[in-house]
Amino acid sequence: MEQEVIEADIVLPTHLSFKKVQMYEKYPKGQARGRHWKHLKQIIQAENYQNYPPDESNYVNIESPPSMHPCKRICDITGYEAPYYDPRTNLRYANADVFKLIRSLPNEYVQRYLSLRNAAVVLK
Amino acid sequence: MPFISKTQRQSDYNLFTSSCPIVIDNGASYFRIGWAGETDPRIIFRNIVQRPRHKVTGETVTIVGDHDPALMKYFDCTRSGPRSAFDSDVVFQFEIMEYILDFGFDRLGANRSQIDHPVLITECACNPVQSRSKMAELLFESYGVPSVAFGVDAAFSYKYNQQLGVCDKDGLAICSGFTTSHVIPFVNGEPVYEACSRTNVGGYHVTDYLKQLLSLKYPHHMSRLTWEKVEDLKMEHCYVAPDYASEARLIQQGTKDIEEKTRCWQLPWTPSPVEEPPSEEEIARKAALKEKQGQRLREMAEAKRTSRINELENESKGLEFLLQQLRHVEGSDIPSFLSETGYVSKQEIESALLKVTQSLRKAKGELVETEEKVDPSTAEKYSLINIPDNMLTPEQLKEKRKQLFLKTTSDGRQRAKQKRFEEELERERQNKHDEEKRLENPELYQEQLRAKYNELSEKVEQRKRLKTNGGHTNGNHSMSGAVGRGERLNAAQKERMRLLTTAAFDRGKGEDTFGIKDEDWQLYKLMSKDNDDDNEGPDEDEAELTRISSRLKEIDPTFVFKSESGSSAAEVPRIRPLTKEDFQIVLGVERFRCPEILFHPNLIGIDQAGLDEMVGVSLRRFPSKGEEGLDERMTNSILMTGGSCLFPGMDERLEAGIRMIRPCGTPIQIIRALDPILDAWRGAAAYAAAMQFPQQTFSRMDYYEKGEDWLQRYQPRYNL
Repeated sequence: MEQEVIEADIVLPTHLSFKKVQMYEKYPKGQARGRHWKHLKQIIQAENYQNYPPDESNYVNIESPPSMHPCKRICDITGYEAPYYDPRTNLRYANADVFKLIRSLPNEYVQRYLSLRNAAVVLK
Repeated sequence: MPFISKTQRQSDYNLFTSSCPIVIDNGASYFRIGWAGETDPRIIFRNIVQRPRHKVTGETVTIVGDHDPALMKYFDCTRSGPRSAFDSDVVFQFEIMEYILDFGFDRLGANRSQIDHPVLITECACNPVQSRSKMAELLFESYGVPSVAFGVDAAFSYKYNQQLGVCDKDGLAICSGFTTSHVIPFVNGEPVYEACSRTNVGGYHVTDYLKQLLSLKYPHHMSRLTWEKVEDLKMEHCYVAPDYASEARLIQQGTKDIEEKTRCWQLPWTPSPVEEPPSEEEIARKAALKEKQGQRLREMAEAKRTSRINELENESKGLEFLLQQLRHVEGSDIPSFLSETGYVSKQEIESALLKVTQSLRKAKGELVETEEKVDPSTAEKYSLINIPDNMLTPEQLKEKRKQLFLKTTSDGRQRAKQKRFEEELERERQNKHDEEKRLENPELYQEQLRAKYNELSEKVEQRKRLKTNGGHTNGNHSMSGAVGRGERLNAAQKERMRLLTTAAFDRGKGEDTFGIKDEDWQLYKLMSKDNDDDNEGPDEDEAELTRISSRLKEIDPTFVFKSESGSSAAEVPRIRPLTKEDFQIVLGVERFRCPEILFHPNLIGIDQAGLDEMVGVSLRRFPSKGEEGLDERMTNSILMTGGSCLFPGMDERLEAGIRMIRPCGTPIQIIRALDPILDAWRGAAAYAAAMQFPQQTFSRMDYYEKGEDWLQRYQPRYNL
């Protein structure tokens, strides 16, 4: 390893004296191992929150409800208030100039703009 | 104000007794570790792990936190980016968490056989028990920690500020973190989780939104918009607008204050060398050089011509001399005399002489008029033509055929000449007509000419397109080479294919009448491969088009020949020299559009309440409404903490938002935490230093005896 790297001491040592079980013992090298962790969704599912009393707080029921305010419609490109909506691209736009722009946008960009507000077409 | 990591390895680890707790603020963005009772964490680094491959040795190494990007050149990071152990503030990848804890303890200076200190570590509110137990297990099993306590960062921050008198014992903590935002009510200094609310929006989303917006706005500078850079931009320039709509309208209208509202990031840019127009001297020098070269060429051509003239003159002289000599020679001696010279007969010598004199004349630049010399004795030349065949000998018949051939060709030439002459006349006439028309009404004339030109050029273009059926019509440039078969054929080839297929499929269908008519056989001619009529020559339209365009050029200096512009149309997006402005990243609306998602998460497609509404939600969720004036007391002490509360204008906006949802006249006071980022750790450190702290911890034994159900209910008391 380069002198520079050693001096900066950025690489975590593989053996640490204060550990009772070292990383290389826990996850031996060269051994195929499946995914050993759960996604958050799986964790929540495994918690079985439905079995607990509803007045007890848990990770799921402390989430905020949907907003009561009317949804703010802003132009996807410029961020101005958007009174218009383009049915072809599904983008919201503020004025004629922006409309011209969105009509000239390649589909990839349209989808990226849509995915910003989680409205893009997702192919599975 | 970018955060700076503190990763200097500490040397005083052994000075602390084993009863002194280690305090860890395990935030989704930063990991802070230090000793209880101190005012600042010892070690701070970004809570990420990279596992790149070392380029030289090829081994996979572990790099925790942020480091000098210059050092990363020794590592191959293509297969693994920075990874986080968190998803929505919940630790779910404990392998990554272990690397982070390794690094944290290592930098704190741990060097004994195990970590022999109680550990206080923060977690999110209502952490799922699975995550909590895994964390406890990790601390007990891998590090040998004697006892562990969990606490919520926002609560520690609130307690810290409460102790310093910033906020009351009843109040609300609005904690906007990296991936989530919480509102937690406090009653008598204890958090009420039943009434808290969480929205999954935080600083990460703000930075990501800004990054996406900028890279969509400036696709050419995408590589410059790294996460770190955009994070810096966000911290430096973003603010919360008091009212989004009016602020956006202000920018949209383009009043003069927007100049101070927009920020501009100038990327490194060096002006491209400007091409100076060549100086007078240069032009003169070039012209002289050209002239010199032309002179040389002209001289060479002249020398060649004179030498050729000399040659030809010599030859003709020789031939004349030969003829003179021949006159003196006897008739019978002619063949023997000629055999020396290489000529067969006197006629041959004469014709050679004629040829030489002709070419001599040509070389001297005189007009060659052989063709013009119309033979006066046409009748004599073609003497045999009018005599019937049966009156002639076979030799004469042969001669007659020859004469006939000669006559038809010369006639044909004559006719062609005549036709050319007539055409010339016609053109002249047309030009004159045109001129008259032009003089009558120049503008109308020009207009008409233009219209005609356009029409014709359209027609010619159309024809060309049909002929080649090039990729232009279907937008597929044939350069790709992956064009379908049908698209590559031109019209004639297509027609041929059609004929072939119909011929192939017609056989054996009904009665075969092919060949009854003579025209049927023409089909084969059409089918033949060399039928492609590429060589039809310039047609009338094209000729007319060139005539009109030249005419237009004459009378209209502004006219641009279309086919020229058309041909260069493909390369027309002329490379404009890049200017300073092309290397600027302008932040206008983005400055307040991005933080706005904290108040309106549905701008990024998250259908949850924003920060201001969350306060209302929490107050609504409050279990016991019994106590009089509790709501007022709580709204009178609202503490903002967490990194995303650092946006300027946050408190005004929150106050306005909360005032809207609370009854009129409610006292509302919003205070920013003393240090929204570090207060959680400081609060935790103060908490762990308290005498009663050991009662809030649980040991390995407790953990295994009491089971998961107990761990789920585990909650420290914050009032010590």
